[in-house]
Amino acid sequence: MPVRLGELEQLVLLALLRLGHQAYGVTVQQEIAARAGRDLSFATIYTTLGRLESKGLIAARLGEATAERGGRRKTHYTVSRDGRAAVKDSLRALRTMTAGLGAAWELS
Amino acid sequence: MSPDAPPARAVALLERLIPGELREAVLGDLEEQFAQRLRTQSPASARRWFWREAVFASVALAFRGARRAVTSPGDSLMTSLLSDLRHAVRLLWNRPGFSVLAIATLAIGIGATTAIYSVIHPILLAPLPYPHPERIVTLWEGTDRATRDNLGYPTWNDIARGNHVFEATAVFKSWQATLSGRAEPERLAGQRVTHDYFKVLGVAPALGRDFTADDDVKHGPTVAILSNSLWRARFGGDPAIIGTTVHFNGFPYTIIGVMPAGFENLVDPTARLWAPMQYDLTLPWACRTCHHLRGIARLKSTATVSEAAAELNALSAAMVREHPTDYAKAGLLTIPLREDLTSGVRPLLLAIVAAVALVLLIACANVMNLLLAQGALRQGEFALRAALGAGRGRVIRQLLTESVTLAVAGGAAGILLAVGGVKALVLLSPPMLPRLSEVGVHGSTLLFALALTTLVGIGFGLVPAFHASRRDLNRGIRQGARRVGGRAHLVRSSLVIGEVALALTLLIGTGLLLQSVRKLLAVSPGFETAQLLTMQVQTSGVRYNADSATFDFFDRALRAARAVPGVESAALTSQLPLSDDFDKYGIHLEAHPRANPEEDPSSHRYAITPGYLATMKIPLLAGRDIDEHDGAAAPAVVLVNQSFAKRVWPTESPLGQRVRTGSATEGPWRTVVGVVGDVHQVNLSEAQPDALYLPEVQWDGADGALTLVVRSRSDPTLLASALRQAVWSVDKDQPIVRVATMAQLVESSAAERRFALVLFEAFGVVALVLAAAGVYGVLAGVVTERFREIGVRSALGATRANIIGMVMSQGLGLTAIGAVAGVVLALAGTRLIEGLLFGIGGSDAMTYVVVTFVLAAVAMLACLVPAWRAAGIDPAQTLRSE
Repeated sequence: MPVRLGELEQLVLLALLRLGHQAYGVTVQQEIAARAGRDLSFATIYTTLGRLESKGLIAARLGEATAERGGRRKTHYTVSRDGRAAVKDSLRALRTMTAGLGAAWELS
Repeated sequence: MSPDAPPARAVALLERLIPGELREAVLGDLEEQFAQRLRTQSPASARRWFWREAVFASVALAFRGARRAVTSPGDSLMTSLLSDLRHAVRLLWNRPGFSVLAIATLAIGIGATTAIYSVIHPILLAPLPYPHPERIVTLWEGTDRATRDNLGYPTWNDIARGNHVFEATAVFKSWQATLSGRAEPERLAGQRVTHDYFKVLGVAPALGRDFTADDDVKHGPTVAILSNSLWRARFGGDPAIIGTTVHFNGFPYTIIGVMPAGFENLVDPTARLWAPMQYDLTLPWACRTCHHLRGIARLKSTATVSEAAAELNALSAAMVREHPTDYAKAGLLTIPLREDLTSGVRPLLLAIVAAVALVLLIACANVMNLLLAQGALRQGEFALRAALGAGRGRVIRQLLTESVTLAVAGGAAGILLAVGGVKALVLLSPPMLPRLSEVGVHGSTLLFALALTTLVGIGFGLVPAFHASRRDLNRGIRQGARRVGGRAHLVRSSLVIGEVALALTLLIGTGLLLQSVRKLLAVSPGFETAQLLTMQVQTSGVRYNADSATFDFFDRALRAARAVPGVESAALTSQLPLSDDFDKYGIHLEAHPRANPEEDPSSHRYAITPGYLATMKIPLLAGRDIDEHDGAAAPAVVLVNQSFAKRVWPTESPLGQRVRTGSATEGPWRTVVGVVGDVHQVNLSEAQPDALYLPEVQWDGADGALTLVVRSRSDPTLLASALRQAVWSVDKDQPIVRVATMAQLVESSAAERRFALVLFEAFGVVALVLAAAGVYGVLAGVVTERFREIGVRSALGATRANIIGMVMSQGLGLTAIGAVAGVVLALAGTRLIEGLLFGIGGSDAMTYVVVTFVLAAVAMLACLVPAWRAAGIDPAQTLRSE
């Protein structure tokens, strides 16, 4: 039984997939803002990341520190196999549901 | 603050609130983003952005569990209460140190209060277990309560016949009955009562019938009513008992009734069977001056207490007119039954209630303090909730839910404590406490504990709740790093001052009681208490109706006792000091007759055998002791005690004076042959003004029960069974009761004060510990808040001693204010325990000084720990954190 995803979870997972090794809080926020036009707060992003992590859909690892972060290390996130499966499943459901609704509803 | 650095307070807030594993990532991201924003935005708008992000992040990430408690308009009251509750439990669970401390403190407060409540409830609060108990009064001869006296039979008879205010009246006396004719003889406590006794109480037998007027006549039928417990224990609860014959004291009695199981005989709780009084006015002991009957009455529903008093006064005046030499003065008293039963213990119980109330207050203050400290730490949380739309009322409700949850946990633990506490209280309780059998953790106790818990939860939660909710968003967040505002500090300091004051009050009370018990036990009772064993030997059975048989039995029993190895000396007495014996007679002087002999002095009467003074080691001060030559046929002699001799013969020598005992007109004149030292008869605290000793064989009739006193060469308790066997070797059917060493009797005469002392000691220690914890808590908070300041000070050259001194002086300052308040409170409050004090005033300076010193020493210890920590603050570390 694949895990069902909420919309925020989909957005964050897709951002992680797009960003690959570059994925951490700031880039996720920026990716979603740039592509989806959603200006999410870090509170929202980290809450979602926390939820995804607890479902085993993503994994976290500590990254490097930079000066502009006040010497603080990043936490990088990567999508797990279950995570990929969940995204695929979710997208398949959307495609199935939009199929036949006409061009206006086609997923690109 | 540099304009391109993120707002320090917001950073500090996040640092404090976000859990460790996320803190670095979130703060780093925020700072990184902030730096990017500074390139495109004004610093002010970037800072606003940072604040907003910080607020949201704090709420979402630090209080993940708390999100649900933030108001949402769609919540029903019930769901939001439930979520409050869940949140409260989770919070408590996540702060085990705080929770355990708070719950334990509350458990002690609520447990102690509940235990005390369960003791006083049946005595002072619950209605007496009779229908319309408020209409039952006790009847006394006399004009004031202090000098009231029991009734003589004719006096009662006049009241019973002449009054229009009572539904029923009765007199009663105690009765010792030996149940014989069964496997082993058993001594039973019972009562002889006039026939309306149970009607006064309003309780009828469950089986059979009540006494009637026909039962209660001289030489009437020998009938008896049994208590339910006796019926079950000795007769197997057999309903066929009614109408059967049972032998008491060798006489056949027909059982006519069995009382219901729930019947409590409060005026004589030990009584297990009842027989009719069967007096009439012709009997010699049915005299007006024989004050040996206790009276009770039930008011008619239409009569008031004052009407009864007026009518009794009229009746009394008529009696005095008719029998002028039978009454010292006119007057009859009614005292409501409850007052009569409880007036003796009320001061003791009220003092204990006051003590436990202090403990509860201190416990609440302590928990309130803990909550305020927690509230200070959680200011950010409350501010954020307010920012997210939670109204003030909503936050207060959440906090009250938390404090009530805390109180309920404390209350539940407290009830467990109370169950154990009540058992201990019953074991410790002085014998004078009535209705002990009803003491326990019952429904009413649980209700009380529940109400108390709720009250306490709301009470100690309200202040911190209002406090925490008062802050607005900005102030709260800005203050996030500073933790505590001045007002919270003031409240916490006041609480500590209050705690110290209350604890000192309680400790001063404890000190005074401790001194009292010490001084009381140091009082010499007038004889040597060590190595004395006492036991009451009773005679029962038809054969002892003849005085000669009784005298002979006691004579042979005494000889047998003296022959027991290890016995140094032995003697018999009709009255034993410091027991409950109370046997007074009017003493009429040959040389100074009065027109009304009722105005003559009265004295305790001791019918003794030769050797009593030597066994007790009561000093002979003048004249000679009673000896073997003072037999029944010899001239009648008496010994008097020193105080009586001085009072009655202030200018003459008492030796050679002649007196009559009891009746002024009949009986032999007895010659005073010796004067002995005073002995405390009733208790150690009251001096004994009178005592009259006479040879047992010279008394008007044989005493049916005498106490054997034995001075042993070694541990007197080892002799008990050999002495019993010695007495039984004379007659194996005679009951021996009240076996006790004199040391035990002395100790139990201090039982009331000892009881109060034990409780005060326990409560005092708890109060001291709680107050010390309060002082410690506030100071620890102060040190945390002033962490930076202290670091700066030490960087600027303050020595460890300077810093320790600074912190200590703050703590001791609070203690000093509290101590002053405590002394004032104690001076006013000791009035409550005045009646329990002995040999010491309520404002004894030495006690106040010593106790205050003890408290100060403990407070100093409590201050030392945070002060030490403050002195250890590393200035470099403080500055780095800037």
